[in-house]
Amino acid sequence: MRKIAILIAVLFCSTAAVFAQTTIKGKITDSKDGTPIAGASIKVRGENKLTISNSDGTFEIVTRSSKILDVSEIGHFSQTVTYSGTGNLIINLTADAKALSEVVVTGVGVATSKKKLAFAVESVNISNQTKVATGDVGQQLVGQIAGAQISSTNGSPGAPLNILLRGINSINRSTNPMILIDGLQVGATDLNSIDLNIIDKVEVVQGAAAATIYGAQGANGVIQLFTKKAKGGKVNIDVSSSVTSNELLNIGNVSKAKFHAFATNAAGEVTSSGGTVLAFDPYYGSYNANVGYSALSPTSYANKPYDKNLLYYDHDKMFLQKGYAFNNSIAISGSKEKMDFLIAASTNKQNSNFKGNGGFERSNLTTNFGVEIFKNLKFRSVTQLVYTKNTLNDATGRGIVYALNNTRPFANYDYKDADGNYGIYVGDAAGVNGQNPNYTNQYSSTLDRKVDVIQNFNLNYKLNRFVELDAKYGINYQTQQIEYRYENQEFNVNAGDQQFWISNYNPNASADATGEIDNIADRTTFQNFLATATIRTDFQSDFHLKIPIKTTTQIAYDYRKNKFSRFYAYGYDAPVYFPWNASQAGVYKVVSDYNEPFATYGLLANQRFEYGDIGGVSVGIRSDKASTFGRGAKSQTFPRGDAYLNISKFNFWQNAAIAKTFTDFKLRAAFGSAGIQPRPFDRFYRLGAANLGVRNSFTFPITSPDPDIQVEVSKEIEFGTDLGFKLAKTGNWFNNLNLALTYWDRKTENAIYEVDAAPSTGSGLLRKNAFSLGSNGIQASLNLNVLNSKKTTWDFTANFSKQTSKILSINGQEVVVTSAAGSSNYVLRPGEKVGQLYGFLILKAVDQLDPITGLPFISKADQALYEVASNGYVVNKTTKQPKSSPGQYSFGDPNPNFNMSFINNFTYKGFLSLNIQWDWVSGSHLYNQTKSWMYRDGIHADYANPITISGQTQAYTAFYRGIYQAGANNGTKDYFYEDASFLRLRNIAIAFDFAKFFKIKFASRMQLVVSGRNLVTSTKYTGYDPEVSSGASNSAFDRGVDHNTIPNTKSYTIGLNIGF
Amino acid sequence: MIMTKNRILLSCLSLILITSSCKKDLDVSNDNLPTIGSTSNEPGLISLAGGSIYRNGFFDLKSSDGVYGRFWAGATGFHEMMGDVIGVEAANAYINQIGCPNKVTWDNGTVVSNPSAVNTQYNLLRSVNLASQQGSNPAFYEWAYMYNMIVAANTILDINATVKYSGDLPSKKATIQAWAYWWKGYAYARIGSIYYAGLIQNVAVKEGVITATNGNYVTKEAIIVESNANFDKAVAALTAVTSVADYKEILGKIIPDFCQQGKGGVFSIDEWKRNVNTMKARNLLVNTPLALMTTTQWNTILTLTSAGILSGDFIFTGRTDPNGDFLGTTIADKIQSSATATGTYKLSERWIQEFRAGDQRRANNVRTLNNGIGLFNTDRGNSFNTRYSLRNRGLGLAGVITYANTDAGANEISLCGTYEENELMKAEALIKLGSQAQIDQAVALIDAVRTYQGAGLPATALGLTQAAAYEELRRERRIGLAFKGLSFYDARRWDIIDPSKSRTGCVLITPAGVVNTNATINYGFLDYWDVPGNELTYNPASATSAPVVNPKK
Repeated sequence: MRKIAILIAVLFCSTAAVFAQTTIKGKITDSKDGTPIAGASIKVRGENKLTISNSDGTFEIVTRSSKILDVSEIGHFSQTVTYSGTGNLIINLTADAKALSEVVVTGVGVATSKKKLAFAVESVNISNQTKVATGDVGQQLVGQIAGAQISSTNGSPGAPLNILLRGINSINRSTNPMILIDGLQVGATDLNSIDLNIIDKVEVVQGAAAATIYGAQGANGVIQLFTKKAKGGKVNIDVSSSVTSNELLNIGNVSKAKFHAFATNAAGEVTSSGGTVLAFDPYYGSYNANVGYSALSPTSYANKPYDKNLLYYDHDKMFLQKGYAFNNSIAISGSKEKMDFLIAASTNKQNSNFKGNGGFERSNLTTNFGVEIFKNLKFRSVTQLVYTKNTLNDATGRGIVYALNNTRPFANYDYKDADGNYGIYVGDAAGVNGQNPNYTNQYSSTLDRKVDVIQNFNLNYKLNRFVELDAKYGINYQTQQIEYRYENQEFNVNAGDQQFWISNYNPNASADATGEIDNIADRTTFQNFLATATIRTDFQSDFHLKIPIKTTTQIAYDYRKNKFSRFYAYGYDAPVYFPWNASQAGVYKVVSDYNEPFATYGLLANQRFEYGDIGGVSVGIRSDKASTFGRGAKSQTFPRGDAYLNISKFNFWQNAAIAKTFTDFKLRAAFGSAGIQPRPFDRFYRLGAANLGVRNSFTFPITSPDPDIQVEVSKEIEFGTDLGFKLAKTGNWFNNLNLALTYWDRKTENAIYEVDAAPSTGSGLLRKNAFSLGSNGIQASLNLNVLNSKKTTWDFTANFSKQTSKILSINGQEVVVTSAAGSSNYVLRPGEKVGQLYGFLILKAVDQLDPITGLPFISKADQALYEVASNGYVVNKTTKQPKSSPGQYSFGDPNPNFNMSFINNFTYKGFLSLNIQWDWVSGSHLYNQTKSWMYRDGIHADYANPITISGQTQAYTAFYRGIYQAGANNGTKDYFYEDASFLRLRNIAIAFDFAKFFKIKFASRMQLVVSGRNLVTSTKYTGYDPEVSSGASNSAFDRGVDHNTIPNTKSYTIGLNIGF
Repeated sequence: MIMTKNRILLSCLSLILITSSCKKDLDVSNDNLPTIGSTSNEPGLISLAGGSIYRNGFFDLKSSDGVYGRFWAGATGFHEMMGDVIGVEAANAYINQIGCPNKVTWDNGTVVSNPSAVNTQYNLLRSVNLASQQGSNPAFYEWAYMYNMIVAANTILDINATVKYSGDLPSKKATIQAWAYWWKGYAYARIGSIYYAGLIQNVAVKEGVITATNGNYVTKEAIIVESNANFDKAVAALTAVTSVADYKEILGKIIPDFCQQGKGGVFSIDEWKRNVNTMKARNLLVNTPLALMTTTQWNTILTLTSAGILSGDFIFTGRTDPNGDFLGTTIADKIQSSATATGTYKLSERWIQEFRAGDQRRANNVRTLNNGIGLFNTDRGNSFNTRYSLRNRGLGLAGVITYANTDAGANEISLCGTYEENELMKAEALIKLGSQAQIDQAVALIDAVRTYQGAGLPATALGLTQAAAYEELRRERRIGLAFKGLSFYDARRWDIIDPSKSRTGCVLITPAGVVNTNATINYGFLDYWDVPGNELTYNPASATSAPVVNPKK
């Protein structure tokens, strides 16, 4: 092939030499702001001559006779220019805003216009968007990716997001998609560590049909980030700075009851059940007795104010504060002919919304350097350095919220004893699950530092116009050093009295007052090498055949290697003096010394044919081997194929009247399979090793592995259509409407999970390829140019996502998994949706029937003892307690029915712009475990809500406490399972560019941006925030519980962007 | 020129391609942990013999939490809850309900029923005995820990058959055999003493293959027979030991160093054999209702206990250790508290009332709560409000036993039989055999136990009636054997837990803090638990299996 190509090239060259020649020089720029356009193709009409513009927009082409140039660049409207014969040409191209004209590489491997794509690839240009204050790429994408569910499930600084692209395909591993930067996997660095300011564009492929080329790691989809490159020409300096104020949301107005039902004496003072007046002991910082409280008594009413010996403290006011986020960035870029560079630095600093809980800061430094070493050989190096420092003492904040929400409101946590110390616990009187967060902050601290290096090299060689060779190598290194400190607490009077201290890795039978220090050192080194050969032919121009066929052949070799290691040591019995370090600890032990290697490699071959603009088809196969594959280490192959037909390009269509309005009509279909790797050690049988005193001993593992474990394979098929309309033939309104619609259906086989083993086998769990999962969904996006006049533009985008996943089969019994958030049980059962909660039903009709047996829950004879109270729940007329089902039932799928986003962008005269984004999540549910716990000790505001039973209206504590107790104490019950659908004003941003308004010469941009995030939320959910989830981040099943999770923040940002 | 460059470039690319495609990269292994092959030599098997018995048998389980803890605070703690030695407020694994009586009658006649949504312990145990309850099913724990231990012991025996020992091979092999059979005997004893049926499991762990099991459940009686048979095999193995030095060398390495102090240590062959006799006596005593004990059985008890543990014998003990242990925490350590707090486990008023006036064990260990009374949520049954908790580290009274001590290594607990249990079983047999001489002899034994624990009580007068002597014995069993996971056995054989039976004369604190001294408690606890659903779901009973559900309703 190569020889032929060279031969042909030589032939052309020698032929050309016979004729007279003209050299045309010029520069391609953007009509809007004059920035150079690199990569535009310049073709001499009538001659087989083609060149590509350099990074500074310049080009040079030799012609024989023709003076007509066809200039095209994806992203801009094509133009034909006639060379006058003298001077340099300046060609201004007008940007084509239509989404369909974009070019994508993710999932295709080779840059392809969306017009010629057979599967859905979502792309978002974020370079000009107002950036989120968290500086998190994922946060930035919320609502912008049609088909995806990206949820901000915890409002703490640095908290990861839940990203669900197409369905749940693994239970063993998370729903996390693979992250690529410029074609190479980022295997060590978290998505939220990457500098948002250096990202130009994001592409997302969501399922196996598009991700087959990523083989055994592609099934969860791929998010690819493209870094900014110098635009070319003169040196640009861009500076941005912003400050944001954050406030935790409390949409459901979560609060504590203003009234109580404790025993009181004649004076109205709260007493113990024995009649002792409750008093706070200032020496011990605790109450002298427990409150007298008969929560289940039918005559216990929460109607007494906190106005005598016990007062009402607003713990929210005591502990919450406004959080601030500061973002600063600077980027210097420039290019000259064969070289371009960009240096960018940014900082992000946020503090906690909880007083004294520390903060989070991140600094990024990026250099991007490209050079054309010699003709057609380009080298690029992108280096990113990230330093993250996290001093959040309670990283998720859940500990604080839980402690406060389980403290009765009379506890004064701001109290300091005579020594100036906070107490940890005021006694059982204020609730046994309460604890003073001030104590935690006084005696403990966290220092979590992380350095990330992402180094990508790319060598690209266009051997000739047929063959392009590309080699990429990336090394991604992360080192994280975490230190937890607990100071000696022996001199705290309250803690000593209550025998209640804090520690992390306490080796004693129960926590002790002596201090502790933990040092964790994690290292991850990830390498990715990707070599690709691409062979392109054009039957018309290359072989002078009259068929408009273009072929692209791609052969790639992909190699990935990861090494994770952890060294974790703790020191205990730390000294009483201050300061001290680990070497002064009395007991020192290494908890973990762990290494985890992983390697995989694969070969990919993909063949693509295009027939003019009318259609195309491609087939491919990828074969992988990996260190995680079980015995025999057979390779796994992943086939793919796709096809599209652009009906609107047929003559019959173009000639028809409809073509004037209905401009684009494409049908597409794709299938593919991709995998999810088993965990690195899933296949190895290993004994445990445990210290028994000074001697090491061997133990049997709780989980038995499967030495034959196989990769999880997801097979997907998708159908879609891309439609384009020109609604108005004249005028500025409704010029273009594009609609992309995709239906997908997929099945994951061999999903790995740990199924229960019979205890008599001596094993707890058996890890195997046990599950088969099925998902389907629809993703759609609509883009509309509402208005496009000289002064004003208004673009509207709507994104839609609907998906559902269920368990098709299990090789074994159903699996019960407990939410990381607490005691709520999820049941994984064949035929049911992934992640359903099971629990008791609180009856709402006296004659309510058991859905399984069809018999009434309350026997006919007993029904007279019950009635429906004014709040709609069945209660016992005498005890005032609610009635629950004896057994547990599924509550249904907590995942949303669909997600939608509506995005409006307005610009006026180039200097004023307005962006508004609404996100709508419909049909999602959350188990409000926060509320469930607040029901335990009579704390929740609901307690003071009177209800009517048998004509009597009272704030019956027996009802509310009865709810907590129904079925099983702290058991899951439908009373707390709530609709968490919401409509949210995600983002509103107004930007004013002074440079454009005042036509300032020295600055290309001087933009003032005022924005707000999460300003308005409409929901029925009664918790803090319907968007949160307490499960492990990106858990496949644990997505439906809210257990004192930190809500998102309502934030206001003011920022300044200046460009020179 | 171009061609040369191409060649260089291509060669570079292919070079990278070839060098990096090394297949050996895939040949990774988990080098963080030992393999089963690591156990095939003497030190390896010794490491497994200690770790798998102590850790898999008492500590490592897929479920458990910090509230009830591992075997020696949780699984055995459940026995103390049902034996009314402790109460709990926390609802984890339904522990507030498994010890919640059906009914409590106050001194003034007020009747308080079990306020739980599922308001009898029978129904509670049945409604939560499901695999889907996972670790929330309290019946799961003892079963799972003990079958872990049995499979571990099977594997130790399996590997022991092929290990080449240094020194006297038969003696070392026999020592390991005795160790494995002993613990199998112990595990079957615990299974047969709480579950209505069990499994005989003789399969060992082989690498990478999950151990097979069988669905042939046998009766609890057959499990006790299996227990005794394993104890006999342990004795046979001990008898085969010829080189005491090799025996001691092996045992000294298996028993953790931190347990080789106090009453723990490398016991002699005879000491171990005496431990076996005490355990066999327990197997008989605790699984026979008192009213049904025959003279033959009492004589068997007498024979076994007469050859049982002596006061100076080493026994099997456990302690905590900062470097790693198999307890985590103990029952008593969960009851200790200081001035204001009450501890996770609450000390029962019915336990305190068993102390004779002046008992130094109470003086040393029991603390009256500063608040006067610890009152807990009224929906937790009203029965465990208390005025007391245990004092951490005791008062330090010389020679008096200390129950709770949270300092690492300071609290010694017994894992199997003790001198006290042996003597009290002997005393009970003597009382029941009935001559005045035997009763007087029994009373002396009870006194000896009290002295051994430092009770500081005056000697009991001789000439007690059989009933009076038995009351002393009952009280001493309640006090002297508390916190060892034995209390429920007594409540069961003394027939006070049946729904139709009750205990009268109880001290009980009402939710208003009123101290009752003559309350009646109807416990209504199931005598033997059904086989846990966690087993049956994955290993259903075969057609010929013994019933796996206790027929009591």
